[in-house]
Amino acid sequence: MNRTYWRSLAQIEDRPEFRTALEREFPEGASELPEGITRRDMMRLVGASLSLAGLAGCRRPVEEIVPFVNAPEEMVPGIPRYYATTMPFGRSAYGLVVESHEGRPTKIEGNPSHPATLGASSTRIQASVLGLYDPDRSQTVRLKGAPSSWTDFVTAWGELSKAHAADGGAGLAVFSESFSSPTLARLASDLRARYPQAVWATYEAVSDENRLAGLRAATGRDLDLVLRLDQASVLVALDADPLLTDLEMIRHARGFAAGRRAGPSGGAMNRLYAIEGVYSLTGAMADHRLRLESRQIAPFLAALAARLAPPAAGARPAGADVPGVDARWIDALAKDLLANRGKGLIVAGDRQPPAVHAAVCALNTYLGNTGTTVTYFETRDAALPSMSSLASLVSAMNAGTVQTLVVLGGNPVFDAPADLDFASAMAKVPHSIALGHTVDETSSRAEWHIPRAHYLESWGDARAAGGTLSVVQPLILPLFGGRTSVDVLGLMVGDKERPGYEIVRETWAPILGDDFDRKWNRVLHDGVLAGSELPQVVPTLTATPFAELASLVDGAAGSGRPDAGSAGGLEIVFLPSPSLHDGRFANDGWLQELPDPLTKLTWDNPALVSSRTADMLGLASGDVVRLDYESRSLELPVSILPGMADGVVALTLGYGRQRAGRIGSGVGFNTYTVRSSRAPGFDRGARLTGLGRTYPLAATQNHGSMEGRPIVRESTLAELRSGPSAPEPESAHAEGTPGALGVYPQETEHFSLWQEHAYDRGHQWGMTIDLNACIGCNACMTACQSENNVPVVGKDQVARQREMHWLRVDRYFSGDPSGNAEVVFQPVPCMHCEDAPCEQVCPVAATVHDAEGLNVMVYNRCIGTRYCSNNCPYKVRRFNFYNFTKDTPDILALAMNPDVTVRARGVMEKCTYCTQRINRAKIDARLAGRELRDGDVKTACQQACPASAIEFGDLRNPASRVVMAKADPRNYALLAELNTKPRTTYLAKVRNPNPDLEGVV
Amino acid sequence: MPQIFPPSWNKLPIVAAIAGSLGPMLAVAGVWYYFSPWYTDVGYRPVQPVPYSHQLHVGELGLDCRYCHASVEISDVANVPPTQTCMNCHQTVMRDSELLAPIRDSAQSGRPMRWIRVHDLPDYAYFAHRAHVTAGIGCVTCHGRIDEMETVTQMTPLSMSWCLDCHRNPGPHRRPVAEVTNMRWTPPRDVQALTAQLDRERPVNPPTDCSGCHR
Repeated sequence: MNRTYWRSLAQIEDRPEFRTALEREFPEGASELPEGITRRDMMRLVGASLSLAGLAGCRRPVEEIVPFVNAPEEMVPGIPRYYATTMPFGRSAYGLVVESHEGRPTKIEGNPSHPATLGASSTRIQASVLGLYDPDRSQTVRLKGAPSSWTDFVTAWGELSKAHAADGGAGLAVFSESFSSPTLARLASDLRARYPQAVWATYEAVSDENRLAGLRAATGRDLDLVLRLDQASVLVALDADPLLTDLEMIRHARGFAAGRRAGPSGGAMNRLYAIEGVYSLTGAMADHRLRLESRQIAPFLAALAARLAPPAAGARPAGADVPGVDARWIDALAKDLLANRGKGLIVAGDRQPPAVHAAVCALNTYLGNTGTTVTYFETRDAALPSMSSLASLVSAMNAGTVQTLVVLGGNPVFDAPADLDFASAMAKVPHSIALGHTVDETSSRAEWHIPRAHYLESWGDARAAGGTLSVVQPLILPLFGGRTSVDVLGLMVGDKERPGYEIVRETWAPILGDDFDRKWNRVLHDGVLAGSELPQVVPTLTATPFAELASLVDGAAGSGRPDAGSAGGLEIVFLPSPSLHDGRFANDGWLQELPDPLTKLTWDNPALVSSRTADMLGLASGDVVRLDYESRSLELPVSILPGMADGVVALTLGYGRQRAGRIGSGVGFNTYTVRSSRAPGFDRGARLTGLGRTYPLAATQNHGSMEGRPIVRESTLAELRSGPSAPEPESAHAEGTPGALGVYPQETEHFSLWQEHAYDRGHQWGMTIDLNACIGCNACMTACQSENNVPVVGKDQVARQREMHWLRVDRYFSGDPSGNAEVVFQPVPCMHCEDAPCEQVCPVAATVHDAEGLNVMVYNRCIGTRYCSNNCPYKVRRFNFYNFTKDTPDILALAMNPDVTVRARGVMEKCTYCTQRINRAKIDARLAGRELRDGDVKTACQQACPASAIEFGDLRNPASRVVMAKADPRNYALLAELNTKPRTTYLAKVRNPNPDLEGVV
Repeated sequence: MPQIFPPSWNKLPIVAAIAGSLGPMLAVAGVWYYFSPWYTDVGYRPVQPVPYSHQLHVGELGLDCRYCHASVEISDVANVPPTQTCMNCHQTVMRDSELLAPIRDSAQSGRPMRWIRVHDLPDYAYFAHRAHVTAGIGCVTCHGRIDEMETVTQMTPLSMSWCLDCHRNPGPHRRPVAEVTNMRWTPPRDVQALTAQLDRERPVNPPTDCSGCHR
């Protein structure tokens, strides 16, 4: 890989396809040496420019002030404005509040009034602002690769539409992503009315089709569900990951954390059982986790159903045992669920077949969970994903009956199953039109490419899960003249160009009714239409919800334990990437560099196997293997992930893009090339063969053990209830848990070498991180990156441990590495030690304390000795080994937070407790003539956290939430024995194991 | 054998000693002054695209600072006015002036004016006008007698030590908030009483930590 993230620019600039690009990023000659220049001339030039720079340095650089000609009303320079909008994502929608500085969106937060975000956000939401300023976004309409214009396209469409109108659209086909939007749904039905013969295919590479099909099988209706994890006492995740890769992860995490937090504070604590083959974040949070291949979920569920379903139902499946699973485990689980009727919840993963979902729906109904922990709604205004619709589209294309294909977003050439071979089918279509953010794999093969607008540039609308309506409101005009799918569909329906704004308002006219403009403005302001949730449906089960399950049970027989050479081969499982999802975020540097929550790998997607499977195959992490599955094969490295089920190989989707852009092209391995439409979730029959080569993997954490030190402290609920004090440190040298109030007493049992600061006036900032709530999702990391202008460094630098994240999430394994290893997560920002070891070794006083207890970093003083980082016991300081932001394309400067200095090469940096937010809040309060209130200052990580695990505030305010958190007996300081007196402390993790399962593995 | 060094060379050690001690002192003094903002920045007076005279508009016509710099009390930034603000008057006053041609062009074409920044803090220093103006620091304290300037000139060094002088002892620099934009305000005879009164009414505690201004 290249040395730094942006150095790849030069290399890619040399590729022929970029040479011929319409608009060069830099003017001719700027990125290469003129011909015929000698080394000596070069040195002279450099010398001259250096001395000129030196002279110029005496005088200020001339800076201009460019005011408006006509200032927009209410826009005041220097005061950010906040607008509500919506990020549509598949059939989900995230209500957001976006911060805009002088008209450019810089930071995204969740909208507290929106049910899908509840004020929090996720990594993808945070990183989507970088996608807006992606310099690789397509900048022009293209006809057969050559620059064209929207007007030309409108004319060309006029010709096409005439031809199609003649035969009812028989030769017209539309490929769409799934969506849930009143406007798109209205336009789609108009389109069907106009072209009744047209083919419509909806496809998602990471699809919830199985769930919808299962619910249809169980209830006979088109329903979808919303999980209410906060209502659940017993949660069972069957190969499911509601806490991370599920699109509704924010509300799930919030609900789950509420149930976790209840335990230590005296309430009922929830208990999570995870049964899964791969290691998901949900599995990592589980109190009990059972390693089971994906194909064994059906037998497991049958065994569970045999214990749970009422005999009178007549549908109780046979089969009470799962090979390799202790029956006591299932017994205990069933007992727990029965004891918590109406407060239990069973969730199945989207890759599980429909029969599993149908059975889960039936069991939830029998257990009385419907309406409390799981609620059902009709799917409305939605395009539901359907693999069969894609298959029939492809066969129509191959048969030559499709004259015009319109790709309304999505990238089927990249992410459609390999056996369908979308690319060669597309080559047989005479006219193809592709809407895309970049000239991607699909757009580059299309006759017409239309640049797609980012959601922050679009008018649109969306229905969140549960039905809540909201409007997609643009914060900025399209930077590159992009169009939305509303624009394109609007053109197709009406044959003339209409502004998206008009089309959306037209849809909303009947929804809002009288007094439209006032209500419309209210919706735009609030970000949601109050009261637009769909009514709950209480489904009636069909007679035989378990019918299909039986055949799956038979199919899963012959549970191949890890013997990979045996007839069945390995189980192959396809996972959505926690960062890139299906690959659409591949060109987002923040997400590429964001470590995977469990493997901590960046910039890659190796195949994941358990250590026993790797041993069996003679493989180690980083070995390159050839994976054979059906008739296809793929070469990629493997990585060992403890806690995976044996005999499973997990492939992460979304990597290996060829035409993602300068960041994402050629990163990782394209696992879609072995995926089939028959089994897009999991299947048997994969084989791994070591090739005797290795491949470098870049992880941010290579060491998963705490080495016996009580870095993460954990306890069980039973121990916590019986013991009066904090969980006992496991090692003898950990002592000195801080006093009940966060500000430390002046006398501790430790002798301090330093003169102590008093910290007895003004605000004294402190933070707590509740390890019991933290799910390790990394949202805090991306939020910090966005707020604090943290650079991306590239794979090569990450491999040298030079990543720049101010906040990292450490992951520790415990237990048997080849068995059911347990995982704990620990976010580690700067601890803001009162006696900070970094300050004592800085020769130039570049890191010092301020009166409010912040350990501040003075970039201008820093001379880069890195002594501070050496002396930091928490290793939270980050050094700019290169000028990571200097050569980035100018447009990325627009994504920067203007309130935070952009650091140059050679200086140290680290978490500041978001000092810019503290200062802003202090001045705001001052101007409002009031004292700062608790909650006025929220750090970026705290605001983004879906689980509300982070509290931040003034330790001298006894009513503040952070002081209350620090009064919790679980409060402890990291490495307290060093007497650094950290202001950031942790609340110990609490597990809630089932006593019936003691000793049962 | 003739002497190599003539007698006059006997003075060499003394000359060397004097030069050796004076030289570095001069060098230090030179750097001290000529490299400091007192020399490099004070007196900076760039030529603006339109020779807007504060002396005329503020000094003679009596415009309040906030007519143009409207955001000074609510924002960190004291905005430079949009072209529209100029045109409020100049579509009737001096409408044919040659000097105002760039303003009329801007208003007509929609292309913004490009003024040259005079008071320029480094990008890593975050100064909030709103915090200072509402704490009773007059415009004149940092910007000088703008009402007497034909062309705006930087009057103060805007260096960190200069900032800190006031942050460490803000009292004498404060005035009643109502007088902030008053260029001719002079402190009353009993400055201490005023300072005490201001401290009572609106105590200030300006930060002297790095994090106060650097983020």
